[in-house]
Amino acid sequence: MIRTFGLSKNYGPTPALDDVDLNVTPGSIYGLVGPNGAGKTTLLGVLSGLRTATAGSMEIGTERIAMLPDTPHFDPWLTAREVVDLARALGSRPGAESRVDELLELTGIADAADRAVGGFSRGMLQRLGLAATLVGDPDLVLLDEPCSALDPLGRREVLDLIARLRGEATVVFSSHILADVQEVCDTVGILRQGRLLFEGSLGELLVGNAVPRYLIRLRAPLDPVVAGLRQLDWIRDVAVLDPEQIRVTANSLDEAEARLVPALANSGAYVVSLAPEAASLEDVFLEVVA
Amino acid sequence: MSLWKLEWIRLFRTKRWIALLGVYVFFGLVGPLTARYISEILESFGGGVQVVVPEPVAADGIASYVSNATQIGLLVSVGVAAAALAFDAKPQMGIFLRTRVANVRDIIGPRYLVITAAVAAAFALGSVAALYESTVLMGSLPFGGWLLGTLLGCLYLAFASAVVAAVAGKTQSVLVTSIVTIGILLVLPIIGIAPEIGEWLPSHLVGAIDSLVRGGAVSDYLGATAVTIALTFGALGLAVRWAEQREL
Repeated sequence: MIRTFGLSKNYGPTPALDDVDLNVTPGSIYGLVGPNGAGKTTLLGVLSGLRTATAGSMEIGTERIAMLPDTPHFDPWLTAREVVDLARALGSRPGAESRVDELLELTGIADAADRAVGGFSRGMLQRLGLAATLVGDPDLVLLDEPCSALDPLGRREVLDLIARLRGEATVVFSSHILADVQEVCDTVGILRQGRLLFEGSLGELLVGNAVPRYLIRLRAPLDPVVAGLRQLDWIRDVAVLDPEQIRVTANSLDEAEARLVPALANSGAYVVSLAPEAASLEDVFLEVVA
Repeated sequence: MSLWKLEWIRLFRTKRWIALLGVYVFFGLVGPLTARYISEILESFGGGVQVVVPEPVAADGIASYVSNATQIGLLVSVGVAAAALAFDAKPQMGIFLRTRVANVRDIIGPRYLVITAAVAAAFALGSVAALYESTVLMGSLPFGGWLLGTLLGCLYLAFASAVVAAVAGKTQSVLVTSIVTIGILLVLPIIGIAPEIGEWLPSHLVGAIDSLVRGGAVSDYLGATAVTIALTFGALGLAVRWAEQREL
């Protein structure tokens, strides 16, 4: 659906995007994560045609693109129903008018459908923006921080709505909330200072980029075991979590899998249990952008 | 809901139509009154000083309307047009529209035409009021000259709205768009002080109605009319081009 080749965007001398090669497969949900100023909004702006790349090229397999900015804004004297109906009418494939009410219902603002949007909270505007984005049944949906202003219930509803688009539309959404990305995305792209540091499936990201950590429960005493492990050059860190548990961080997964059990045996440890510590996206994200 | 309907709703729900109609019709009613009773008005403020003014004629009522309408009325018209045509003033609103139309022309077209129609209608209604009151108070006026003069006034306002559209393509903010447009429209008459240039400029059309109801020749305005039409289309072309080039 989307392929970019060496995409760059400069604001004066400052690069906002630097040689980005993006590959988004049709029907997938692609999560774009990165710290503030990483270039996420700029990248979505270039993909939507609202901004022009300084260098590079891109291929987008559709012209039916809808974008939702992080703080949607509409003429305050329009009602919610009129906003969504305007979006429907402007779509290249305007659907039935009943679709307007359907989207208002799905996004949880049906009760406020006939109220002027000037009095809407930011969260309600975000729900309305999502309804206006989806009403035209776009092939490519670009969402910039779609859950940033929502309460937990609203976030849940919007994530469910995004998840339902899988296979029907291609979704690229940026987010600071890594748990959201982990929950709904097939593919993740990590941006930092305009560069795409990682792109791949969540599995690849969590396995390939996570520093291998193991939680080991031992019978006391722990000190000789900890001292012995700390002398090994393939072990990065040994942390004592409580009187019976340590966390061992290895340099690589291969080394840990091949050498950790023998090392424990050699140190005279009485091992009660040993398990890899599941890496969260947040852990991996921090490792990648560090 | 289409972009055309959106503009009509904008005009009515924001009450901007009241501002437009109010200012032009007000001056259409007040202008001939002040022209008719200028002598009495000046004397009442003169502290016993006798003021001698020529006997007013019906055309003075029209002249008084045009004088006010082209100042206060133009300011209001430019402000109302800028509020509609500076659609990127809030970028999130610009994003909503721009990502849903094939060309930015589709946004500018309805906004320009609806606002121009509203401004022209308000000016014309004010002119009708001025014609009626001038006729009642001071005598009849040549209808053909009045009608043509009113149409030329509307053409000038269409040009002013096109300038607003072009400036909005560059400046983005409603306030800056209004100020820059007013600046441009004020510079034109200054340039036009030289008669050989002035009779070709859009600002020449402002006084057309006054001249035509006094028996002025239509041919005096042909050049300015042609130039104004050309500049209006040119400004609209620039508006589209500059809006297309803008990044949000």
